[in-house]
Amino acid sequence: MNWRQDLAGENPELELEVEQALKHFKASMDAWSDVALSRPRTLAKASVRHSWRPAASWALGCLLAAGTLAGAVHHWQETKLAAQKAAQNAAEERAAAARATAQPITAQSIGAQPDNKAPAATTRELSAAQHSASGQDEALLASVDKDVSREVPAAMEPLAQLMDDGGTQ
Amino acid sequence: MAAERRENEWWRTVNLRSKEASTKVMAAGTALKPMTVEAAEEIAAQEFARIVESHRPQIFRFLLSSLRDIDLAETLTQECFLKAHRNWSHFRGESSAMTWLMRIAINLQKDYWRNRRLQFWRQTRTNAVDLDEASEWLPNGERNAEQQILAREQVAQVWQAVKGLSERQRTVFLLRYVEERELSEIAEATGLSEGTVKAHLSRALGRVRTELRGTR
Repeated sequence: MNWRQDLAGENPELELEVEQALKHFKASMDAWSDVALSRPRTLAKASVRHSWRPAASWALGCLLAAGTLAGAVHHWQETKLAAQKAAQNAAEERAAAARATAQPITAQSIGAQPDNKAPAATTRELSAAQHSASGQDEALLASVDKDVSREVPAAMEPLAQLMDDGGTQ
Repeated sequence: MAAERRENEWWRTVNLRSKEASTKVMAAGTALKPMTVEAAEEIAAQEFARIVESHRPQIFRFLLSSLRDIDLAETLTQECFLKAHRNWSHFRGESSAMTWLMRIAINLQKDYWRNRRLQFWRQTRTNAVDLDEASEWLPNGERNAEQQILAREQVAQVWQAVKGLSERQRTVFLLRYVEERELSEIAEATGLSEGTVKAHLSRALGRVRTELRGTR
């Protein structure tokens, strides 16, 4: 026993007891480990393990993970497309609004600024556009009047025909 | 100690021979019989088997006292020798084979506790026996019943003290008082300085004294 030198306490009686306790502890460990080491070992026959179970659970897990991932990607793409479409619509609306406000402003600005000497070509173009627009309006109104005037009940059609003929004669 | 030293010397020779197996060694004009690699490996394997046979009970006992779990101690003992076999070529014989093996066992035990701490959420099955059961083991000497009971009580008190020790203190304590290793060997096996080993032992003994004093 090479550890007796460790026991150099003030109380010799206690040190003797510690020494005894440590000796018993070692003897106990020796006995326990001897018995444990020499115990008969039963070799259990390896049971047939179902190898498909872990494979199936793995496959299911992978499928679930792939599904979740695909769903997330799809959702993300949908959101992105919707955002793009909304942005496009907004831009178109803005552009349309800008176009609608730009024409009168140009015309007003040209007419409202007496000092500003607008080029003659621009003025001419503007007046030509106004003329053509008023001509189109008149033609449209005339066709509408004609259509409306032609809408007479079927029973009055001969009379209307006569009136037309009389009118033309 | 002398036997261990002889064993180390022998091993150093075997390792050296296995490395220079294919070369012919000439000494003082005398030709030594060349040793083939296969022959050297066979000798090394036989010697390793002898080492396993002689040191297995001690490694097992140390692990059993550390873990109080027979199955786990057996598993880690096997792992210890497997690791030793894999790294046998790196063993230079600078320390004794026992110290080297003990170092591997200590590291395995550390890894085990670390893994258990990390996997605290896992309901790991443990077969560790409780302290009362561990205290039951005593050799049937010529003691009478009263002495047996007294001895059992003392063993239980030492177990109680061991339970309260830190992992490192417990390792040092068990190496000293169960494996009866020298301080230098414990220092080498644990990678601590001798002073630290002494400090750990002093604290561990203090706990044992407190336990024993508590029942007086």
